[in-house]
Amino acid sequence: MDPVTAMYVSQGIHGLAYGMILFLVASGVSLIIGMMHIFNMAHAGFFMLSAYFTYQAVAWTGNFWLALLLAPVATGICGMLMERFLLRPLRGSGVIGDLILTVGVGLCIDAAVKMIWGTANKPLDVPKALQGLVHIAGLEYPAYRLFVIGLAVLVLVIMAVLLYKTRIGKIVRAAVSDNDMVNALGINIPLLFTFVFGVGIWLAGVAGAAIAPILSVYPGLALQMGMDAFIVVAVAGFGSLKGAFLVSILFGLMNSYGVQFISQLAPLSMFLFMAVVMIFFPHGFFGESEEE
Amino acid sequence: MKKAYLWIFWIGLVIVLILFPKIVGIYYTNFFIAFAIMAVYSQSINIELGYTRILNFGHAMFFGMGGYSAAQALSLIPGMPIWGAVLCGLLGGLVLAALLAPLVVRVSGMACAMLHVAFNALFFMLAMKVRPLTGGEDGISGFPIPPLNIAGLISIDMKDPVNFYYFATAVLGLSLWLMWYFTKTPFGQVMIAIRDNPKRVNYLGFKVPESKALVYIVGGAFAGVSGSVYALFQNLFSSDATSGLNSFQPILMTMIGGIGTFIGPIIGSAFFSIVEEVARHYTDRVELVMGVTLIIVILFAPMGFMGFYRKLKAKWGKAPSLPKI
Repeated sequence: MDPVTAMYVSQGIHGLAYGMILFLVASGVSLIIGMMHIFNMAHAGFFMLSAYFTYQAVAWTGNFWLALLLAPVATGICGMLMERFLLRPLRGSGVIGDLILTVGVGLCIDAAVKMIWGTANKPLDVPKALQGLVHIAGLEYPAYRLFVIGLAVLVLVIMAVLLYKTRIGKIVRAAVSDNDMVNALGINIPLLFTFVFGVGIWLAGVAGAAIAPILSVYPGLALQMGMDAFIVVAVAGFGSLKGAFLVSILFGLMNSYGVQFISQLAPLSMFLFMAVVMIFFPHGFFGESEEE
Repeated sequence: MKKAYLWIFWIGLVIVLILFPKIVGIYYTNFFIAFAIMAVYSQSINIELGYTRILNFGHAMFFGMGGYSAAQALSLIPGMPIWGAVLCGLLGGLVLAALLAPLVVRVSGMACAMLHVAFNALFFMLAMKVRPLTGGEDGISGFPIPPLNIAGLISIDMKDPVNFYYFATAVLGLSLWLMWYFTKTPFGQVMIAIRDNPKRVNYLGFKVPESKALVYIVGGAFAGVSGSVYALFQNLFSSDATSGLNSFQPILMTMIGGIGTFIGPIIGSAFFSIVEEVARHYTDRVELVMGVTLIIVILFAPMGFMGFYRKLKAKWGKAPSLPKI
């Protein structure tokens, strides 16, 4: 295999891995907007929180796998508490309250993280089993990135089965299209909201835990991921998981190849793309038009 | 009777503003200027967001345009008067808004918000990268602050903070008054009508996109004014001031104060400035204090302070409730 192809493939793997992480975060944002009509500004904050939880769990137990399991769950519980005690009292008071509240929570997470763990970078080692490279068909792949892709696909499959094959999935999908009607049918919507919010945050948590060894853990993580996930959701359209998946992969690849070829313009390209999409598809590629 | 009270209030306010630097000293004078800049900046977004429902989430572009225009005008053109710099700032914001308006007014709702976020990010990147024009992260600094000449007779040194305070207060106060006047014109009623029901305004024969464009341009121009005063005040304008964060802050201030009311953004910026100042005095965790304050305020007053006030008022008498944005 010549080095040029190898470069393409390895950049592709990087892009795919990042795209998958992006999807995990964006799908949570999309799910919460689609169902609860809340734009969760603190979502990326939870993503970062989970990365820190992972770091802390590894520091305590030394076991990455345990951390990967526990950190997202702990983050999800934090999210559920936020929904139950902060967002629920505000239900029905309009978009403004939700927006300010989630910004406030985001600020608190940011400040708390800086207070507890400081502002320095916290490096986290890739677990031993996944260090090094995997050789397939004469090409080398970094094992951990392959693992990240696999993990994201696994989560995606679980989510798809949950959403499309189970009763609770049916309820969630119905609530996305009309939650008043679902409520009228006797389903406990507030409880469902807490559950879905928790799942959304859990997804961000999985992404945070998975990305911790790739990027080191630092307080700027939230801002970076928040922006990217936000663009994905905007381009894909609110509430569309399929759209979020495709656009995340596209952006992941665009990012990694962009850095390769037009490194000066790579950060711009996503925003340019978004601006163009917003002009021609005001509701995103897969979004339904919102009621005004 | 009521009018007389109003006059007393305004005269009292002017006297307080004139005596302000003498009473509180230089530190709080500068604090007040920073607050006044934010108040005008928030008000300019309120005109778009609160009165007309143009979801402009990239207002820092216009703030930045104003700041850069003023700073560059002062550093490039010798003999540029200080009001000329403010005028340049106004024009900068106005021109950028006029350029974007045809595009922006055709998309509505969330798409408009997203478009602005994208534009803002592009603007921020350009501000970082195009160093000859903007100075990048370091910004443009050290440009001369010219004295204010009145009719070629009196020359007032603007490097003196107290003199600058009077100048800034006059400019910002005038801006606020102009914006207030703007919302009270018949066109102001059209703005509110567009917010509440654009389709119906269209049926009534008003041109919705053109009206929105006008509001957008006015908002951009006043953001430019606040940006230029900010540049003069700091004697520095860097790319930080054009970031998405700086677009979001005036929106938060407006929402905390009460969106769609004229007094709301002013209360909101005062509240933000004071909380930040107090927090800075006692702790270095300003972010945490801000976050907790936001949560507490919004749990008790979901529509901001003005919403809370009107709710209280509605308990005793009839008062219009705040619009839902």
